[in-house]
Amino acid sequence: MFSQIGVWGMTVLLLAGCSWTQEQPSPSATPSQHSSLGADSEIGTHSAALGAVPAPTPPTRVQIPSLEVDVTVRPVGVEADGFMEIPPDVAVGGWYKYGSDPASDTGTTVIAAHVDSPKYGIGPFAALKDASVGAVVSVTSAEGVVHEYVIESVERIEKARLPLDEVFDREGAPRLALITCGGQFDYGTGHYEDNIVVIAIPTTP
Amino acid sequence: MRYKILTGLAAGFVATAGLAAPAQAISPSTADLYLLHAVPDLTVDVWVNGEVLIEDFAPETLTDPLDLAAGDYEVVITAPDDPISSPAIGPVTLTLAANTSYTAVAHLAADGTPTATMFTNDLATTAAGTGRLTVRHTAAAPAVDVLANGEAAFTNLENPNEVKADLPAGTISAAVAATGTTEPVIGPADVNVQEGVNTIVYAWGSLEDGNLALAVQTIDGLHAAPGGVNSGTAGLVADPDPALIGIGIAGLMALLAVGTMVTLRVRAKNEG
Repeated sequence: MFSQIGVWGMTVLLLAGCSWTQEQPSPSATPSQHSSLGADSEIGTHSAALGAVPAPTPPTRVQIPSLEVDVTVRPVGVEADGFMEIPPDVAVGGWYKYGSDPASDTGTTVIAAHVDSPKYGIGPFAALKDASVGAVVSVTSAEGVVHEYVIESVERIEKARLPLDEVFDREGAPRLALITCGGQFDYGTGHYEDNIVVIAIPTTP
Repeated sequence: MRYKILTGLAAGFVATAGLAAPAQAISPSTADLYLLHAVPDLTVDVWVNGEVLIEDFAPETLTDPLDLAAGDYEVVITAPDDPISSPAIGPVTLTLAANTSYTAVAHLAADGTPTATMFTNDLATTAAGTGRLTVRHTAAAPAVDVLANGEAAFTNLENPNEVKADLPAGTISAAVAATGTTEPVIGPADVNVQEGVNTIVYAWGSLEDGNLALAVQTIDGLHAAPGGVNSGTAGLVADPDPALIGIGIAGLMALLAVGTMVTLRVRAKNEG
């Protein structure tokens, strides 16, 4: 069975028998973090000249040795229906390019892959449901830097209850979210009913 | 440049933490105020409520947001070290509403005289994959069209007005031309419309003096999460449907029951 670790911050997921229930997520609006300035403090200023925007550092590879998972990763955005874009090839992970990356100071790096497809069969991320808490995940960035994480939780969550603002968080502590599908398959919609969500935290600050 | 904050301001100036703070939620009692200097060739001092807030404020410079209690603020802009009684711009009264983001811009009016305009920044959430582009005309120039990738995206924009639109995130080639024309008086320049960010572009300077330019301000944290993650389309690794399992168990029990009855009957026969 899936381990149940409270990683969703304010959101608590409860495993009750075979059904998943969830408290309402807390309001997503977080108060601004203000720091008081003393009388001697300065007002920060910067040039308003039009300049290049700093580029993110895309992850290019995810490895989970204990599950023999080793997939390439490419940047993805959103589909026309507003859902996260997923590479058609089940052996390729999609990194949500509008969110955080492994080099970000804050937020969750989200990488998702199809668990299966009629064309490609079963993908490597099918193994995510068997991931163990404590297992090591390595994410290689486009710069060749290897970021190491340790799995904190493995959860199966009904899609309608997936706390999207928590999963796609950009302001909280750095984390990695690996997502695929699981649970039952709805042949009417052509989609699985649940998401498998693996949360891992950096081993080095 | 030197900046200082005097203690006399009752509001108490507080800087926001910057990138980490979501921009939408300011506070129920305070407003965010950015100051942008868009008057060419004029370094100034900025006075608020009778005290110098910023000294030697240079053109094309933007402050971090000042977190101010809602209310009225009197702003005067002077040449460096001039007394407040010799204003270059102002005095102007800025009325700040709570939980609202503003940018006060010192700039040239269409006729070239220095003035100040306060704009309200739209911090509404943007859809996943999109960003907001705001264009503000703060230049000594007639009405303009804003060209995106060579085509007029906004027309007849006059000083000191703004136009805005939510666009798919990405880089556009932006230019400014006199209304009805496509010959750029500014640009083209690459403007990155970042996802979840209000990218505010200012046309500033003077057409007559040949120093028209673009300045940019970004306010982030407007993003929304995607609608979900559909990451499997074949059902090859699906869990069995409990309803089907239920039918299966019921069927098995029925079979067992039949089997038991048959066994009992056979026994009854044999024993009979």
